[in-house]
Amino acid sequence: MKTFKIYHLFYDLLNLYGDRGNIACIEKRLAWRNIPFETYRIGIDDDFDLKDADFVLLGGGSDREQAIVCNRLKEIKSQLVTYIEDNGVLLAICGGYQLLGESYVMNDEIIEGLNILKIKTIKGDKRLIGNVIIDSAWSNSKIVGFENHSGKTLINDYEPLGKVVVGYGNDGQKIDEGIIYKNVIGTYLHGPLLPKNPEVADKLITLALKRKNIEIPLKKLDDDEELMAKDIMIKRLLNM
Amino acid sequence: MRMFLIVLICKIIYYASRFVGKQGVTLAGLIALKMDHQILQKLSIQVKKKIIVVCGTNGKTTTNNLIALALQGANNKVIYNQTGSNMLNGIVACFILNTNFLGKLDADYACLEIDEASLRRIMPQCKANILVLTNLFRDQLDRYGEIDITMDLLNEGLKYAPECKLIVNADDVLSMYFARESGHPYLTYGIEKPVQDSKNDEMKEGQFCHYCNHKLVYNFYHYSQLGDYYCPNCHDKRQHIDVNGENIIFKDHCEVTVNNIRLITNYKGFYNIYNILASCATLINENISLEAFKKVLVNFRPENGRLEEFNINGTKVTLNLAKNPAGFNQNIQLCINDTKPKDVLIVINDNAQDGIDVSWLWDVDFEEFSKDNVDKFYTSGTRYKDMQLRLKYVDITSEAIGNYQEAISKAILNSRNKNLYILVNYTALYPSHVYLNKLQNEKVK
Repeated sequence: MKTFKIYHLFYDLLNLYGDRGNIACIEKRLAWRNIPFETYRIGIDDDFDLKDADFVLLGGGSDREQAIVCNRLKEIKSQLVTYIEDNGVLLAICGGYQLLGESYVMNDEIIEGLNILKIKTIKGDKRLIGNVIIDSAWSNSKIVGFENHSGKTLINDYEPLGKVVVGYGNDGQKIDEGIIYKNVIGTYLHGPLLPKNPEVADKLITLALKRKNIEIPLKKLDDDEELMAKDIMIKRLLNM
Repeated sequence: MRMFLIVLICKIIYYASRFVGKQGVTLAGLIALKMDHQILQKLSIQVKKKIIVVCGTNGKTTTNNLIALALQGANNKVIYNQTGSNMLNGIVACFILNTNFLGKLDADYACLEIDEASLRRIMPQCKANILVLTNLFRDQLDRYGEIDITMDLLNEGLKYAPECKLIVNADDVLSMYFARESGHPYLTYGIEKPVQDSKNDEMKEGQFCHYCNHKLVYNFYHYSQLGDYYCPNCHDKRQHIDVNGENIIFKDHCEVTVNNIRLITNYKGFYNIYNILASCATLINENISLEAFKKVLVNFRPENGRLEEFNINGTKVTLNLAKNPAGFNQNIQLCINDTKPKDVLIVINDNAQDGIDVSWLWDVDFEEFSKDNVDKFYTSGTRYKDMQLRLKYVDITSEAIGNYQEAISKAILNSRNKNLYILVNYTALYPSHVYLNKLQNEKVK
């Protein structure tokens, strides 16, 4: 089988809140199924080519670090656009999610984003912090995560990743969380997102394999621990 | 008369709380503030020599206790918040519980460890003469936000004490940016030469130059981002180390030479070398001989769950606080350095004081445990299942037991190696400490 290639973009800057756990999750779920993979940790000064990438993670960084990344991202924008439009699988978390849009706000300053998605992040009046539960077509069970953002993201007519059950969501309105565009997920959910939401992880893997023309049903894994960890939070947050 | 009442009431609350097994410090402080909101100022101005404040992500309690005991060893009267109650109420309580019924405080020094976010609430009434900054690591991001925000909070506090001198870790690029940009005078401590191999994939902060945004290059790391750095673009580099630690030993116990004096402890851990060096720098700044410190160190044992040892039914139990990735990684190294077979219990809570976001567990290098000689892993605390899941992703099987008392008892009962490490985060610390003490006393009887 052809090697599954994982790219962690700018791991040296976009690595807040345990986001690297998403990489660990994809790696393990491939390894447990004997699917060969390689992971490329791309630093801010490294050259790279996404043409054979199967999964790309764009994590979140601190405001300071995000500003450094933003300039670098503009240099590789065309690569990223080609990858996304060619149905490349990309998970963008928090800062990474904001960067994909037209603009975001840092210290009252409006900063131009990559403008790949027609979404916009505006200044919020308070920081939105807490546990989150959403209902999503991407997962039979509820998706659980943690949000921590001051910007409010307006997703216009895009499809959200899910509907908010607990938490603030994209814009503090407690309605929509995240965004789906082609094979891109943008979301505020840390936790990290994938380990405790294995159905989302497997869906991303399936989409990536399909894009490689490998249409095999994924071997079912024992997700008891994942689902129990999630279930505890769901019960607690919904007072069940 | 009013002061008499405040002191009386607070002391009653404190001792009554202790009697029923609660810490009581913060409640006493809260009541004192309610009765007189200027109380902190009235008491803190009575300190005869200096107010020394210890801030920083890790090592506050141990460093503060070391400094306080060393100053006492040099014949000073010292008050200090030794249990680590380090927010406004805790600091007020520290003063009031050391005040007599006439409202008089008899202290040469006040040594106060203060929570980084609380400094700005305390400094207006209690102006530090010295601020010791141990280090700045990623910690409880949902409470403090990013490290840049922590630095802003510290700066806000520092503004109230324009004369304050800083004592900072030269090996920590972030602490140094803070000190250099603060405009305050500072004294540095650090470890000039490499001591151990530090692997490079540990999560590191501040990898980019604050002055030109270029990626920093490290000649070597001590651990986390602590090390010898320079910027290849603007040529900024690690600053001069005023108080340098040499000939370091840390695996079985700590030893370090400072100004030709060999300091020896009976506790271990590389990070503890930095706590000793921070204390040395403070003492040198006060013109106090390190010979006196040497005597204090020989008898010093960190308390309150900082490498605290218990003997329960023949099992050696080591309790240690591990509340953020940098601290946890050091804890794992500490376990590895003990080459004897062992069991490990990890207790993770997500209460407000711990930070309700546990994603930081994924920034800890648990895969390092593969180098260790661990027989059985247990997880516990309110996030026991999250912890079990984290371990699953580094191929470690563990037994998850939600109730911490049950987990501790079971781990001790089933310990084949009679060597158990209990690594806990903040709110799990005190209850675990109390429960282990209880078990130890029961067995003695």
